[in-house]
Amino acid sequence: MQIRVEQLQVRYEDFELRVENLTFSPNRVSVLVGPNGAGKSTLLRALAGLVRPVAGAIFIDGRELAGLRGPERARLVSYVPQEYSASLNFRVFDFILMGRSGYLNIFTPPARADYEKTEEVISYLGLEKLAQRKCQELSSGERRIVFIARALAQDSKVILLDEPTTFLDLKHEMEIIGLLKKLAEDRAKMIITSIHSIDLIPRLADFMVMIQKGRILAAGPTAEIFRAELLGTLFDYPLRVVEAEGRQLILR
Amino acid sequence: MTGSIRKNKKRTILFLSLLLPLLLLLISLSLGTLKVSVREALEILAARISGVNQVLLSSPAANIVLNIRLPRVLLALLAGAAFSVSGASLQSLFRNPLVNEYVLGVSFGAGFGAAASLILFSRSFPPQVLAFACGLLAVVLVLVISEGARNTLVAVLLTGIIVSALFQALLSALEFVASPYALQSLFFWLLGSFSQATWTDLLWSGPLILAGLTLLIKMGWRINALSLSDDEARSLGLAVKRERILIICLAALITSAVVSIAGIIGWVGLIVPHAVRGLVGADNRLVLPVSAGLGASLMLLADDLIRVLSPFEFPVGILTNLVGIPFFLFLIKRARSSWS
Repeated sequence: MQIRVEQLQVRYEDFELRVENLTFSPNRVSVLVGPNGAGKSTLLRALAGLVRPVAGAIFIDGRELAGLRGPERARLVSYVPQEYSASLNFRVFDFILMGRSGYLNIFTPPARADYEKTEEVISYLGLEKLAQRKCQELSSGERRIVFIARALAQDSKVILLDEPTTFLDLKHEMEIIGLLKKLAEDRAKMIITSIHSIDLIPRLADFMVMIQKGRILAAGPTAEIFRAELLGTLFDYPLRVVEAEGRQLILR
Repeated sequence: MTGSIRKNKKRTILFLSLLLPLLLLLISLSLGTLKVSVREALEILAARISGVNQVLLSSPAANIVLNIRLPRVLLALLAGAAFSVSGASLQSLFRNPLVNEYVLGVSFGAGFGAAASLILFSRSFPPQVLAFACGLLAVVLVLVISEGARNTLVAVLLTGIIVSALFQALLSALEFVASPYALQSLFFWLLGSFSQATWTDLLWSGPLILAGLTLLIKMGWRINALSLSDDEARSLGLAVKRERILIICLAALITSAVVSIAGIIGWVGLIVPHAVRGLVGADNRLVLPVSAGLGASLMLLADDLIRVLSPFEFPVGILTNLVGIPFFLFLIKRARSSWS
């Protein structure tokens, strides 16, 4: 499976995002980086099929995203938004179960297979203790994991995440980072996520896309483009990358 | 373990909430000036269904139970269920605990439609048609006008009030031009009452309400997912816009079907779902059927109270306003972004 973006042009209010050519390859973690308002979320929403491009197209596995019906798209791509927005206070189990919507029609409630999938996801992520609690009682770290669980229940090859680590404390941030890597490795998921903490990128991502003012500044393997000059240009602030204990660190 | 206990508890609540209206139905048939015991009422019902005991069926008691009390009781049950289920569905759909068919203008739209139909075509044409059309028009107006507002919760409420006021004004205009005879029946009907219920009314509205209720309850699971943000619901594979429209239409349909024969009865759709969510949680697979059962029971109980306590027919719509409005104010006071 591969995601190909061709001559994409997306408008959101007075913001415009243009992507000439971009290819995401399977089984790895890709990150979208850039300053606030650069267009990371817009690109994610476009990849999720939530905004219709003004021009150009996105192909997933050779099929054009805009031409897919809702359920077909849901089985290919899942989307993890930044904030818990449900106004109803669902139980965690029921919330994760909603990931199965794309497999059900409007009048059918979830069946045995959907419950089994949900239970499998819950035990894979070790969420048994949370399953009967209500979503609004959870900490923001727990809630992020529940969102990822819903995406897993959706059983899509691609998982898109919008800033999954913002507002988390250090421990929960590392937990999410570890989980995303694990999903790419054990479950062959294709993870595309925007991220704020650039110092985490070398640990997390194999591939990075630098976005600035609605344009792609650079895209490539992290090992090649995680460079001080590029990052400095991207954030418009001088940065240094140093190596210590075999890791790349950012100095600002 | 705890999951299965919870499941059993929920099943019990569901079972009781569906049993309660049946019990109340039997009790309600025996209430009134003419004393009929619950057992006699049951016998009359059985005789009617089997058609065996013709002697019993021709008795005055049977006539009162079958032709006066039964349609009234059934209408009260259907009305309570319809208001509660449409209220619960709309609250989830709009992610807004304060919304219901009354607030969204459906009730007054439908009221105007039904009144216009009665005046224009008299009883010969079912008032449900125009009631539904105007009820739907009212929600569409509210949605179109409040769309894009920053604070949608407040915008929807305000627009709903204004659209309701518009249809109330139209209704007053109708009343002004209507003949005195039509006016009198219009007046009582608008205050909301089950006292005029006949089998002919139920023949039209009954099946509509039952069909709408069944579909909405069947969509309970879907309504859960539709209560998420638009982005989430769409990324889960839902056809958000189409499915929302379908649910709004069904809610407007069952509300108008009630309003066109029983008049405007507000606030049941606000109180009942709220109480039910406190009882069973947010899951609409349970909230909708339990709301139907408890809403039906509550409405019937309110009508029974009126029949027993007031010597004249006090309109049930006034009673629900007197109880509902303070409750609404209380909810507004404690409304926050989250609700359960």
